[in-house]
Amino acid sequence: MNDILIIVRKELREMFRDKRVRFNAFVMPIFLIILMVQLFGFVMSAAVGGTKATVYLVASSGALTEAIQKGGLTIKTVPTIEEGVKLIQAEKAKLVLAPMEPTTDGQVRVEAYYDPKQQMGNLALSGLQQALAAANKENLFQTLKDKNIPESAAEHIKLIPKEVKVGEKGAGAMIVALLPYMIVLFAFSGGMSMAADLVSGEKDKNTLETLLITPVGRNQIVLGKFLALASVCFLSSASCLVGMVLASTLKLPGSHEMFKDGFGVTPIAAATIILVLLPLVAFFASVLIAISSYAKNPREAQTYLAIVNFIVIMPAVFSQVIGLTDLGNKLWINCVPVLNTANNIRAALLGKTDWLAVGITVLVSAVLAGIAIRTAVALFNREEVLVRV
Amino acid sequence: MMVRTHGLKKHFHDPKTGIKKAVDGIDIEARPGRIFGLLGANGAGKTTVLRMLSTVIKPTEGSAEVAGFDIQKQSQEVRASIGFMSNSTALYGRLTSREMLEYFGRLYGLDEKLLADRIRYVVEKLQIEEFADRLCDKLSTGQKQRVSIARTILHDPKVLFFDEPTAGLDVVTSQTVMEFIEEARDLGKTVVFSTHIMSEVERLCDDLAVIHDGVLVASGTPDTMREATGEHNLERAFLQLVKFQAGYVSARQGTV
Repeated sequence: MNDILIIVRKELREMFRDKRVRFNAFVMPIFLIILMVQLFGFVMSAAVGGTKATVYLVASSGALTEAIQKGGLTIKTVPTIEEGVKLIQAEKAKLVLAPMEPTTDGQVRVEAYYDPKQQMGNLALSGLQQALAAANKENLFQTLKDKNIPESAAEHIKLIPKEVKVGEKGAGAMIVALLPYMIVLFAFSGGMSMAADLVSGEKDKNTLETLLITPVGRNQIVLGKFLALASVCFLSSASCLVGMVLASTLKLPGSHEMFKDGFGVTPIAAATIILVLLPLVAFFASVLIAISSYAKNPREAQTYLAIVNFIVIMPAVFSQVIGLTDLGNKLWINCVPVLNTANNIRAALLGKTDWLAVGITVLVSAVLAGIAIRTAVALFNREEVLVRV
Repeated sequence: MMVRTHGLKKHFHDPKTGIKKAVDGIDIEARPGRIFGLLGANGAGKTTVLRMLSTVIKPTEGSAEVAGFDIQKQSQEVRASIGFMSNSTALYGRLTSREMLEYFGRLYGLDEKLLADRIRYVVEKLQIEEFADRLCDKLSTGQKQRVSIARTILHDPKVLFFDEPTAGLDVVTSQTVMEFIEEARDLGKTVVFSTHIMSEVERLCDDLAVIHDGVLVASGTPDTMREATGEHNLERAFLQLVKFQAGYVSARQGTV
């Protein structure tokens, strides 16, 4: 055990002195999280702003103007429809409204001009439709009331949404989509730059042979390297949380929209994240060590690592959209490697930790980690793999 | 005997050519206080022999003892008794010289007091003090070579293996290495030294084995080699032995 710790300490010391590792494993996740929070926050703000956009009116209409103002939209005027259309073509206006002559029964008809290819135009139209629907409903109910007809005549079935509290207070939807993916991603890619050097780099620099000639057993050498790498993978993942904390505390422009529903990392969520992450990190570190042992040199190792990284990314990417399906609640999803961890982190952030799901996930990842560690140790003990250059 | 091999063989599987006999039945003996030279051209099998003796790879057949330990059954004891140095300095660029020595000293099981004493000794002996706390990546080739020597002798091994230690080095650095090898011999260490440079053999080797295509062609002292071939010059003696062996090998393979 002492020899293993000597190797762990040396590998970590070397790693912390390597700029590439420091940047890829620690700076990169923090930077990316802050960047993505800002980006998503900005998009969300813009989407909300789109429904409260400015509309251009060709001619004033009392009822229409009142409905638009009640809906929170801003009104500007434009002299003619042609000029309004030109403004849309020049992407200076998103929605131009041209009231028509009222019908004989008094209905106010309005032509709405917009560019369907422009998302902000669609959002403005949607915002206007909501505002007019609310005004129409209010008008209808007033008419019914004046004629002593109950509201139920117009709204036979009335939907009354009631929020049900499930689990602890959870994070917002964007945090839930972003954070599990990043945590899982950096559990692998955070260790990539170090992994290439760990064994194949030592082969390349001839230091491996010097190490093999010491009395320390090969199993201890590979376990020491594994533990050092697993620590880096775990810390790289944890850096994502540091990035989130920084993004929320720095009060940057996009932060408000992203964190308005909360951060989601309660003590239970943090414990769940650590619990599901540890066996996954062990699995990833073993895979990285096995690849590094097999490769002749760091370049070859990086080629293999890039391919494996792509395979790891796929289930992690799916975790971002799993909330749009019902799959996240299925028990069997906890048997799908990588995705199971991301899904449990997602549930934890929503305040809905399912301990059975956590147990299955930990078991599956631990079994995979065990197989991968055995493979890495076996490869490290094969002389044709170890001394090939 | 500190190093003894019996019919040592190492065969590799080559997907293109089938079995490659890198070493094919080598018997050598090296004694304390003497330098044993393994002489052979590139690819002759010298490095493979040294790798087997240092337990990095296992023999296909045959056996060997190093410092009284069987290389297969007591590999850990063998490794604790040897120092190994090649032409590659094999240093960790992001560790300082002192950190490197501490790392290897601990891996060799030296307790902290002994480790501190040994580091003090090798640092002074090899004049490393000036750059002991500098990262190995920042050292000159000569400085790196001195650190590499320091690492090799740090645990005071009984047997020292040198695999072409001067290949690619300038004259001054080569001198440092050769002086160190002579000093190790004078201290009673068993030195096994592989090379293909005749001037080094003339200067250093007390005993000699010539290997060609994995086969032991001749062994003895440099003088007995000269006598056996009738050549006064050791290089010519070597060439004669190798030419003879080349023909022998070709005939053995049925191509002549």
